[in-house]
Amino acid sequence: MTTTSHPGRHASADDPRVLLDDEIGVFGTVPPYPPRTEREAEFYTLGDGQMFLNMGPQHPSTHGVLRIVLKLDGEKVVDLDPVLGYLHRGVEKLCENADYHQVISQVDPLEYVSSLFCEWSPVMAFEKLLDVDVPRRAEYIRVLSGELNRIASHALFMGWFALDLGGLTPILWSFIERDEIVEMLAALTGQRMLFNYFRIGGVNGDLNHDFMSRLGDWMSRATGQIEANLTLLNQNEIFVRRARGLGVVDTETALAMCMTGPNLRATGSPFDVRRAHPYSIYPELDFDIPTRTEGDSLARYLLRMEEIKQSLRIIDQCLHQMPDGPIMAKLPRLLRPRPGRAYAAIEGPRGQYATYAISDGTDQPFRMRIHDPSFVHLQSVGLLMRGDLIADCMAIMASLDPVMGGVDK
Amino acid sequence: MDRAFRARLESRFGDVATEPIRQRHDETELRIPAAAAPDVLRALHDEPEFRFLMLSDLAGVDTGEQMQVVYHLWSETTSDWLRVVAEGIARDEPRTPSITFLWKGAEWMEREAYDMFWIVFEGNRDLRRIYMPPDYTSFPLRKDFFLPDDAARSPGGGVRPMERSHAPQGTSAGAIRRVKA
Amino acid sequence: MTAVSRAWGRLTLPGRIVFTLVPLLAVLGAGLVALIVLFGGTAADLILANLGFVRFLAAATIILVITIPIAFLNIYLEMKVIALMNLRVGPDRVGPWGSLLSVVHGLKVLIKEDFTPTAADPIVFTWAPVVTYAAAVMTLLVLPFAPGLYGQDFNIGLLYFFAVGGMGVVGLLMGGWSSFNKYSLLGGLRSAAQIVSYEIPLTLSVVGLLILAGTMSLNQIVQQQSGWFTDWFVFRQPLGFVIFFIAATAEANRTPFDLTEADSEIVAGFATEYSGMRFGFFFFAEYVNVFILSALAAVLFLGGWNAPFPFPALSIPLYPGSLGIPLLFLIALVPIIGTLALAAPFYLARSSMRWWVALIIGFVLFNVVAGGLTFAWAYVSFDWVAGLVWFMAKTFGFVFVFVWMRGTLPRVRIDQLMGFAWKWLLPAALLNLFVTAAAVVIVGS
Repeated sequence: MTTTSHPGRHASADDPRVLLDDEIGVFGTVPPYPPRTEREAEFYTLGDGQMFLNMGPQHPSTHGVLRIVLKLDGEKVVDLDPVLGYLHRGVEKLCENADYHQVISQVDPLEYVSSLFCEWSPVMAFEKLLDVDVPRRAEYIRVLSGELNRIASHALFMGWFALDLGGLTPILWSFIERDEIVEMLAALTGQRMLFNYFRIGGVNGDLNHDFMSRLGDWMSRATGQIEANLTLLNQNEIFVRRARGLGVVDTETALAMCMTGPNLRATGSPFDVRRAHPYSIYPELDFDIPTRTEGDSLARYLLRMEEIKQSLRIIDQCLHQMPDGPIMAKLPRLLRPRPGRAYAAIEGPRGQYATYAISDGTDQPFRMRIHDPSFVHLQSVGLLMRGDLIADCMAIMASLDPVMGGVDK
Repeated sequence: MDRAFRARLESRFGDVATEPIRQRHDETELRIPAAAAPDVLRALHDEPEFRFLMLSDLAGVDTGEQMQVVYHLWSETTSDWLRVVAEGIARDEPRTPSITFLWKGAEWMEREAYDMFWIVFEGNRDLRRIYMPPDYTSFPLRKDFFLPDDAARSPGGGVRPMERSHAPQGTSAGAIRRVKA
Repeated sequence: MTAVSRAWGRLTLPGRIVFTLVPLLAVLGAGLVALIVLFGGTAADLILANLGFVRFLAAATIILVITIPIAFLNIYLEMKVIALMNLRVGPDRVGPWGSLLSVVHGLKVLIKEDFTPTAADPIVFTWAPVVTYAAAVMTLLVLPFAPGLYGQDFNIGLLYFFAVGGMGVVGLLMGGWSSFNKYSLLGGLRSAAQIVSYEIPLTLSVVGLLILAGTMSLNQIVQQQSGWFTDWFVFRQPLGFVIFFIAATAEANRTPFDLTEADSEIVAGFATEYSGMRFGFFFFAEYVNVFILSALAAVLFLGGWNAPFPFPALSIPLYPGSLGIPLLFLIALVPIIGTLALAAPFYLARSSMRWWVALIIGFVLFNVVAGGLTFAWAYVSFDWVAGLVWFMAKTFGFVFVFVWMRGTLPRVRIDQLMGFAWKWLLPAALLNLFVTAAAVVIVGS
């Protein structure tokens, strides 16, 4: 069956339910309906000595509810087919039926380990639609809290990556960092995970004493703590041997796979939206875009660890340059932007988060497209790991650092 | 806004564009017929004066009157985001060529647009549903799919079954939201 | 009759239990006494005539029973030590410092549903944990815990140990094959490949030691290492020890070689479909295996029950009977005097302290002191107490190292694991063997 045969609106020939009533034994093929596309037909045809292994959605290390069908030859992964949608909430549809302000709380849980970035790009897109200028102090606060969230996310990545390689301790060590950051962001925003902090035209609350004292306390020892955490893994022979040369990707392939963020920079391309297409106050700040050329899992890991240090530099500069002033632009309660289209992209811990918003002049977005880097990176798992072993499946996936909340939207 | 880039675009794609090139903030918008998308995108990708190597986003849009596929591209030759709107796709039989030959990574984004809008990308090897279950029959992000939430101001109002894919009885087809943007 | 039933109705539950048990115990006790009187002589003769067999039976029973506290202790140690390494608190609710948590785990495993998948092979599925557990327990039989405290002293003890210990993989393979689950299958096959590969360096690594020792009896190997700690085989076979320890880690399926149950890859490996006490058996077997391999490492390389230095032979003539009757009464007063003496400072030092609180503190302290003194006396007087102390200290030292590795290291990949066994460990073990043999020939001639 090809993709071009769609006889009706409801695509009945494409509807697999007609075949679901057939008796399917435990030895039946997966899935229990005829293939709908070339690729599916190719994938679900077993070669000699091959078998399918259904990994997930309830698997200890699929980073949420992801299902991956692996085609195995012994322990070697011949091919794989990720099956998404177990966490699909229809955020885009919800946003189309929500007020511009309500959108912020809808997009928050997308990537629940870096919620601020999920808020940031819609808020920026709406500001473009409304032609609002954000006060400088609000921009500084956004960058400050965003970089803190980036460190929290990368710290968690380090733990998960090690956990998927079988190390128990790093995740609990990295949770110390994450917990301190999350606590201080809770002092700032009132929430530990889903901050709901950015507003169209500014941020929800000004810096307070609780946040500043926690931040100062943490900054005074952050570098040492992070270095200590890194010694757990960077000098670990087993860890380095497992991660090196695993899931290698070159710049051309990475660009063709639409990869962004640390995963792209690990191949040598210095693409970082903060520098490539500057937004907010990033042009005024002094920081480096670390790159590595190996393009393997170890490079992706080391690059993220390097980014933590750059984020610390940015936070330091933000604290020193923080201007006084308002934290919200003057805006009416009910936002009715003129009909138009806006696109805003930011650099999150996983890559480029983007929002494409269309306004039709009402107080609800007409269309809101959310581009999530996890979604894009997850599709390259299959490309990266053909021919590797099952054990590497999880390692490569963890090194791409997808968050299923963002993948499934 | 990059005026020079706009001039370059106009001189190269002026004959294909369906509407004059618009610029707002840091975005440049090029509107082309959907059938021309592969050629235009290939030119944008390959030609040295453009070098749009990065497909930043691919979105399906249902304007209420037609379907559009919107590509956002990034290049180091300009400081703007380039938005290519491939428009003029029929709502009742949406079909458009795929661009997976340029960016393999567009495959899943096209699958998502198919899943949500029923836009059939010809040439995509793996055009299956991606989020919704395989036995699901409607396409949720189309404007004729209403949420059952009566707080949402859908034209029909009231509570409806979640999976109803058509406008409720008593409302004309013109009751759906439309945009001219 | 009504009076009896009314009285019964008034009794509380403990009362009913006591009133049922007391007559029952009385009858049973009387029966036992009668049995002993009638057949006691014959039974004693029988036991004396078959002393070896009876000893074996007793040893087997005791070994089967002590595996459970050993496993509990290992599980507790693992939970607590890894928690401390993870900067967590770990178990701290059940019992002092959470020490009873593993007992509670055992009870939990007992009352959970014992589930068999529909398409599993029920016979193989049921017997797989038994095979694994039996293999683990049977190896305990030849381990010399202390002088005179061993199940059986085979002259092929080490060979028996490896032969029976290698049987555990059959259980894992059975479990993996019969579960009707691909994760189980992969886990089972992985464990088979891994254990078969690591058997070879494990066995070869001790051959050099056997050349030096000239015997396979574990008991005699331990005896050869008595004296100063420099006599331990670890100093004569350092390479062999390293190989042995690495291979033992793989044999016990411990991190970094725990591919059999790599939870981030194949869920729980061979144990994926197991639940309840069948899973418990696998779980116990794993921890008993850790103990056994630690014990074997201690026996072979660290001198087993020998102290690291020859302890000056003390004999304390503690025969209370020789003191005479009046002094015996004086000894009987020691607990009271000791309690009072230890309570007095607390009572005098703090005016707010009640007399009975001080007495309780004194009593507890006295017990601690008396227990310590008794232990010291037993350590000096009985060989086996001293031996057991050293043996357990060394063994749990190794168990701690296993746990430590689990807290520190990630897991290796299956190809790295096999490559390491065949490309590095095996040549190293052969090298060790050749060097040892050559040294023995040169020095011996």
